[in-house]
Amino acid sequence: MLVINCPYCGERDQSEFSNGGEAHVARPKNPETLDDKKWSEYVFIRLNPKGIFNERWVHTHGCRKWFNAIRNTSTDEILKVYKLNEEPPSIGEFDTTLKTPSGEPDLGSGNFTVKK
Amino acid sequence: MTALNNNKNSRVTDSNKVSFIFDGKKYFGFDGDTIASALLRNNIKIIGRSFKYHRPRGIYTCGIEEPNALVQILSEKDEPNTRATVKKIYSGIKILSQNRWPSLKNDFGYINNLLSPIFSAGFYYKTFMGPKGFWKNIYEPLIRRSAGLGKPPKEFRSKSIHHHHNVDIVIVGAGLNGLLAASKFIDTDYDVLILEQDNILGGSLNSSQKIKTIDNLDTHVWTKKTEDLLKKSKNIKILKNTLATSYNQINHIIALEDNSVGKPLASHKPELILHKIRTKHTILSNGHIERLISFRNNDLPGIMLAGSFEKYIFRYGVIPEAEPIIFTNNSSTFSLLKSLVDLGCKPKAYIDVRDESSIEKKTKTILKTNKIPFYFSSEIEGCDGNKKLETISIRNKEKQIEKISGTMLCISGGINPDVHLFTQSKGLIKWDEKYLTFKPETAFQNTITIGSANGSFNFKRIIEEINEKLSLFNINELKIDLEIDCPEDLNIMELWETNNEKKSFWSKSFIDIQNDVTTKDLHQAVSEGFDRIEHLKRFTTNSMGTDQGKISSINSLGIVSKILKKNISEVGTTIYRPPYAPLSFSAIAGRSTYEFYDPTRKTSIHSWHVKNRAIFEDVGQWKRPWYFKKNDKETMYEAVQRESKELRNAAGILDGSTLGKIEIKGKDALEFVNLIYTNAFTKMKPMTARYALMLGEDGMIKDDGIVCKINDQHFIVTTTTGGAAKVLSDMEEYAQTEWPHLNVYLNSITEQFSTFNISGPKSRAIMRKVFSDVDFSNDKFPFMSFKKVNYLDTEVRILRASFTGELGYEVYVTPKYGLELWEKFFRYGENLGLIPYGTETMHLLRAEKGYIVVGQDTDGTVTPLDLNLNWMIGKNKKDFIGKRSLSRSDTSRKGRKQLVGILAVDKSKIIEEGQHVVKSSSIPSKIKFPVKYLGHITSSYHSPTLNHYIAMAMVEGGNDLIGKKLYVTQNKSSENISVEIVKPVFLDPENKRLLS
Ligand SMILES: [Zn+2]
Repeated sequence: MLVINCPYCGERDQSEFSNGGEAHVARPKNPETLDDKKWSEYVFIRLNPKGIFNERWVHTHGCRKWFNAIRNTSTDEILKVYKLNEEPPSIGEFDTTLKTPSGEPDLGSGNFTVKK
Repeated sequence: MTALNNNKNSRVTDSNKVSFIFDGKKYFGFDGDTIASALLRNNIKIIGRSFKYHRPRGIYTCGIEEPNALVQILSEKDEPNTRATVKKIYSGIKILSQNRWPSLKNDFGYINNLLSPIFSAGFYYKTFMGPKGFWKNIYEPLIRRSAGLGKPPKEFRSKSIHHHHNVDIVIVGAGLNGLLAASKFIDTDYDVLILEQDNILGGSLNSSQKIKTIDNLDTHVWTKKTEDLLKKSKNIKILKNTLATSYNQINHIIALEDNSVGKPLASHKPELILHKIRTKHTILSNGHIERLISFRNNDLPGIMLAGSFEKYIFRYGVIPEAEPIIFTNNSSTFSLLKSLVDLGCKPKAYIDVRDESSIEKKTKTILKTNKIPFYFSSEIEGCDGNKKLETISIRNKEKQIEKISGTMLCISGGINPDVHLFTQSKGLIKWDEKYLTFKPETAFQNTITIGSANGSFNFKRIIEEINEKLSLFNINELKIDLEIDCPEDLNIMELWETNNEKKSFWSKSFIDIQNDVTTKDLHQAVSEGFDRIEHLKRFTTNSMGTDQGKISSINSLGIVSKILKKNISEVGTTIYRPPYAPLSFSAIAGRSTYEFYDPTRKTSIHSWHVKNRAIFEDVGQWKRPWYFKKNDKETMYEAVQRESKELRNAAGILDGSTLGKIEIKGKDALEFVNLIYTNAFTKMKPMTARYALMLGEDGMIKDDGIVCKINDQHFIVTTTTGGAAKVLSDMEEYAQTEWPHLNVYLNSITEQFSTFNISGPKSRAIMRKVFSDVDFSNDKFPFMSFKKVNYLDTEVRILRASFTGELGYEVYVTPKYGLELWEKFFRYGENLGLIPYGTETMHLLRAEKGYIVVGQDTDGTVTPLDLNLNWMIGKNKKDFIGKRSLSRSDTSRKGRKQLVGILAVDKSKIIEEGQHVVKSSSIPSKIKFPVKYLGHITSSYHSPTLNHYIAMAMVEGGNDLIGKKLYVTQNKSSENISVEIVKPVFLDPENKRLLS
């Protein structure tokens, strides 16, 4: 279980939070002006990268506030949390190598624990 | 030969005799004995039958790694698969051997041993392929009876609780290394938690004489002294009988404490404590596990791992046999040899696969002085015996077979650092060519491995290693003198299996003793193409079960690597997954059992419902009256028909308190409600209400409810009972993330009100009696308007709305007066025919009227347009959630499934919910093409008012099919029911009743 540092409450167990997927996908201001393709990209398409990811969390069983976090999805390390009204930190601040515990390749997975 | 007691230098002495029952017979052991040590004391060698072949099995190890000695504890609610090598006895404990029928000596399942060719690798997957029906009726029952472990218990064994810890350092294992590391933290600022699986500290100091003295103290004395110092230190806490089972992300460790060791179950306190520990650093000093060697019949009772044999002598004070035979490929057996000789016992033979020159001098000297037969460059070809070890065949250095007799054989195939927790923490392990084992290489978390858990088998270096590895904490250097009496190095020679010469069904060379996997199975699996280690594991069931192959999984890698002609590091290990040892479900459940598992929510009227024979339905966590039984004989069908009819004739009252209620306030409340719901609210007058829909951004219906407008800055909305929490979350999400500029405040007020739905032609008359000063006339109180009314010292909100199609009112009152007001309704309403009704009647009545239930008639793929609810969409609104999606090419296309009514042509036919709507009158017995599915029945009821069945369905292009004939499939029949598609309103389409 992860420990997540709520910007309002401090460190709490992951079980108090819910994940909200990719961050910084703003709802279009004038949906009616978008064509089907553009609108469906907003509704259905989200990134799911291996590595550094800006994502949304909500402290459901706590202050109920939404906030953003930067997580390395390959190690599950939460590198930074920031409030909604804060600018996203630049990715360059972080080690973007796809460090995984078992040294897996970028794609796929498997037990490479001992094969390094 | 018989077992001897070692009272000289053991941790269990003969001071307190304890009686116990094994398989119905009474025996005696000593206080502190495990079941296994007590049975060995009583010369009991066979303790169970094996999983597949029902071969007799004995005690193989002396700890958590035990593959064989699993027993059922009758005196603890039949707790099965208990490791006899761990479980401590107490006076009166009743133990049953497992997996034998009718008895341990004469076991019927032994026939499986003869049938073993069909039980080889992959037998579950391929042996019983046909003929049809054989699996279900013959093979499965037969296998289920004869294969397997203990029987599942009938009730919960234990009460357990959870403890949470937040510490700086966790030390797993309080053996020599753990104690040395811990002692460095005495009186420091670090919060330290020590986990020890045994009920005494000391680990291997208790189970061998490899270390003679520490700082010139006897190891036992030193351990006690260190324990006292640790206990006095306020920053250190020791948990005994506590096994670390999982090492998760972010240094999160799960450990199970057995709180009733050596005691019968106590009813008043928890027997298991699950510790959930969050730490900053973890020190793994959890030691090592010895491994076996595969040879013919290496499973016979009387064969035991050498280190375990030694542990019995010193930890439990029982020498299982005075003249055992020792078979080894490494130097760790020196200490057993030495200990036996020191205790006046004389091993019958010492067989070492290494050549004479590479065997350390110390060993050879003891063998020579004590005239112990010594076979170097030799191996055991196999063993024989009737249900126990009798003869041992040695392949000597001239490759000749020599037979010797013996009843006890101690084997050592090498030592593995216990890397399970380390790899669970995602640490990297690496094959070590010198020690022939996997050792921790790179930690992924803040993990430090020391001692044999780190693969540091040389005692001379341990103090140095601890000082070095713990230097990051800036604490005192250890200066300790160890007097060591064992070879400095392991000096191991590779040996995984020996060639066996005797070929018969009885001769098997086991690799996984618990799962009856033989070395032959490994060869077979590889030859069938299962050469990846994870595949091989599943195909053969190797290293599965309660022991997870702790004493043999590395051996199987060794054998497979030889077959594949690869290095072991190329073969790789299977993934070590938590838990390290079986974790009882009751420990995981903790207090979350029975009524504590999930809270039950009851309305303020609940007691009245119970008194009036309500049958309840669970809706989320709520208990809602489903229907009220008029008398004990009345069936659900009869009750629902009666309630429906009486409501349409007079009046009914429903407890709707569970409906979600959300208050929306703020300067921008109106704009917010306009964005959340599809309807237009701007022109809506204060103190009126609207039935409203909430969509997802994909345009699909998510929830419905009634929006009450008090004024532009204040709304109260209702949600479905099950959707309340989600709707509030969604509203909060939009308020915070998309529209933070809007000034709105959201508050769940579900529990602040008891809600009653009064409905039926007599409801106005009843309302007039209960609230005598309110004008309920159509003019003054029209449909979809509400009023605030004073009631006692509180305010009641009355809304004119209906979900039944009849004249109806909803009353919102503080729960404090809920029951009182409910009873008042009956005082005034009973003689007007008022009845209580439940959710089932509500569903029937709304179906007659064609009202939908979100989640029953819709399924997340339905738009308002699909339900012909176009009138609910505020087309002139610039935006609301999901609006743009309603004009997407897919949501606006023709031929989408639409809501229709369904009537059987023969109205006495029952149409079942969930059945398919199709074009053909029957389903052919041989289907060449898939039958075209047009839609499915979403709701179906018998209407007592119309006196026939009615149904609703979602059907492709349904709006264009009104008046057409189609068919609906039936359960267990190829004949379909002929139906007519109608508009989904069966009663009062003009709304005369509703607006009366
Ligand atoms: Zn918070």
